[in-house]
This record gives sequence, structure tokens and C-alpha cells, in this order.
Amino acid sequence: MSLLVDMMTNTLDEAYAERAASTPAPSGTSQPPAPRARRAVTALALVAVGVVSTAAVSQVRGQDDSGLRGRLAAEALNRTAQSEALDGRAEALRAELPRLREAALGADAVGRSLAERLTSLELASATTPVVGPGVVVTLDDAAPTEDLQAPFSEDGRVRDTDLQDTVNALWAAGAEAMSINGQRLTALTAKRSAGAAVLVDLLPLSPPYVVRAVGPSAGLELGLLDGEVGSRLMTYAELYGLRLDVRRERELRLAGAADPDLRRATPVEAGAPDDPP
Amino acid sequence: MIPALALVLGVALGLFLEPTVPAALQPYLPIAVVAALDAVFGAVRAQLEGIFDDRVFVVSFVSNVVVAGLVVFLGDQLGVGGQLSTGVVVVLGIRIFSNAAAIRRRVFHA
Repeated sequence: MSLLVDMMTNTLDEAYAERAASTPAPSGTSQPPAPRARRAVTALALVAVGVVSTAAVSQVRGQDDSGLRGRLAAEALNRTAQSEALDGRAEALRAELPRLREAALGADAVGRSLAERLTSLELASATTPVVGPGVVVTLDDAAPTEDLQAPFSEDGRVRDTDLQDTVNALWAAGAEAMSINGQRLTALTAKRSAGAAVLVDLLPLSPPYVVRAVGPSAGLELGLLDGEVGSRLMTYAELYGLRLDVRRERELRLAGAADPDLRRATPVEAGAPDDPP
Repeated sequence: MIPALALVLGVALGLFLEPTVPAALQPYLPIAVVAALDAVFGAVRAQLEGIFDDRVFVVSFVSNVVVAGLVVFLGDQLGVGGQLSTGVVVVLGIRIFSNAAAIRRRVFHA
């Protein structure tokens, strides 16, 4: 206890009192006013106090807004806008393609058959926009709970596997073209998760996840909901509050996917065997 | 008068030069500031009581800063750096407060 009491009562450095008591002693050649050198040292010490305090303050301030975060955010926004602009341009160019092809190939029968073949290939590789009847499947994370500490439960989150299963079930039920949140799915599209986010072709998507599938709408709905995937999703909906909604649409329009980057594959030469044993 | 000017000069220098503190020393900077402030308040009080001595001030200033830094450094090595710096801040804070109260009594007689 005495330590604490001492700390509270004896706040002035005892050295001052001792020094004051000893200065009138015979040894005291340096009576006040103190020599210049000492006063200079005192002043220097005070300058040091000022510099150190300011440095400490500016250091703490610099931690939250050194502008780095702001610059990164601006950069991200800028790049997103650029990427969107380029996407729009690619879309416009792609829309121009059929007309140009018509002009180039529509003249004779060989050209027309080539064009037809191209169109069917493009449909299969999902690079052209399509339109047709189908279903819209909406998957969403569970609604936030009352629990303020952890409003979003891990269990009620839509995972990459849920989307994969849904999409696979729809393909199996006869879907001809599909998109997730506007991203057209091709044979090469990856659906995976990175942390809490679900990535489709490396683009992070945020819930709700809207899967649009063009195909026989009744068959698609039945195929999904009556199948294993559908019953599993509905169980999740009941247990964890995952939100699932399936709706038929008379007409769905899906944008085309970007042309795939082929790195190794090259077209087969005319006359070469299709599939050597 | 000169000490007050020196303090202002120090703040101005800090603002203009914006000294960068080495990363290794950064955790000790706030503690050093509090320790230095304690020495300054003690000096002001001693001045008002007529027993100020510049040698005592400079020595107490330097030793305060060094000891506070060492205590926190040791705490960091022992894994209780946060708690120890809290302790240093509390003790020095109490001293600053009571010295400020003594100064107030001297100046305002209240």
C-alpha cells in the first residue's frame, strides 16, 4: 500500500528538494542564475519534448489516413470503370459481328452453310447472346439474425458448391445456356469460393446469386426441385434460412461470354484425321 | 520565458520537419512523450516552488524517457508490453495530474 500512497503523494521528483537543500552548501559555486550552458541544455531538452510529441502525434495520425487506403480505393474504382468500359466495347463489337458475317458469308450456299455451322458452334461455346424461355433460380444467404455479435451465420451462406450443384442440376435437366448474375457460363467457367465470396470465372459475385437458365422451363424447374440438389437446397432453406426461389420465365436474354483464351489448342487441318486412336 | 519558447520551437520543428520515427522505436514513442511531459510538469512545479534546478530537470527528463522505454521494451520481450505500457501511462498520468494540481494551487491559490 505504501508504494501506492507514496506514488500519489510524492509526485515531485525528490531530487529537486535534495538539490535545493544542498546548493547553499560550501561547494555551491554555481548559484543562480545558472550558467548559460546549463540553460541551453534545458532549452534543448524542451525542444526535444516538442519534437518528440509532435512526431508521436503525427505518427498516430498518419496511421489512419496516410491516404494510401484512399488511393487504393480510387485505383480500384478507376480500374473497375475501365474494365466495364472495355466490357461494353467488347459487347458492342460482338453485336456487330453477325451483321459483318452475314455480309461476308451470306452471298453463296457454301458461305451460308459455314455461317450456320459457326452459329451452332457459337451456341455450344456460349459466345453469342441467346434468348429463350427458361427458369430464374435465386439463391441468397440467410437473412441477418437478431444476434448483433454474429448477424451472419456461416451455415446460412450460399457456398460455391451450392452454385455448382444448382448449375449442374440445371445442365442435367436440359438447360441450353446459363448465366450467374449476368456472367454467362461456358464449359470452362469455374465456380469457386475465396473466403466468403463466390467467384465465377475469377469475378467475385455478391449475393443474391441469380442463375438464369434457358431451356424447357417446366423440365428445368422439375429437374432442379425434384432432384437431389433441390431437396438438399430446400433442407438448407428450412434448417439455416437459406433463401431459394425458382421462377419460370417466358423469355430470358443471356449475354454472350467472352471468347475463350485458347493457349494450346489449334484448329484441325482440313483432311487430317479427327481423332487419331 | 526561454523554456516556453524552446517548447514552441520544438513543436514547430516537429511540424515542419515531420521527422520519421524508425519502426523499431515507434511503440515506445507515446510512452516517451508521456514520460517527457511528466518531467516538464515536475520542472514547472519546482520552478514555482523556487527549487528548480536545470541539472535535475535534464537528468530526470532523460532518465524518465529511457526508463519508461526500457520498461516497455522489457514488457514486450516478456509478452506483457501492452499491460506494462498501460501501467507506465497510469503512474506518469497520476504524477502529471498531481503536479498540474500543485501548479494550479501555486498560480491561482485555489
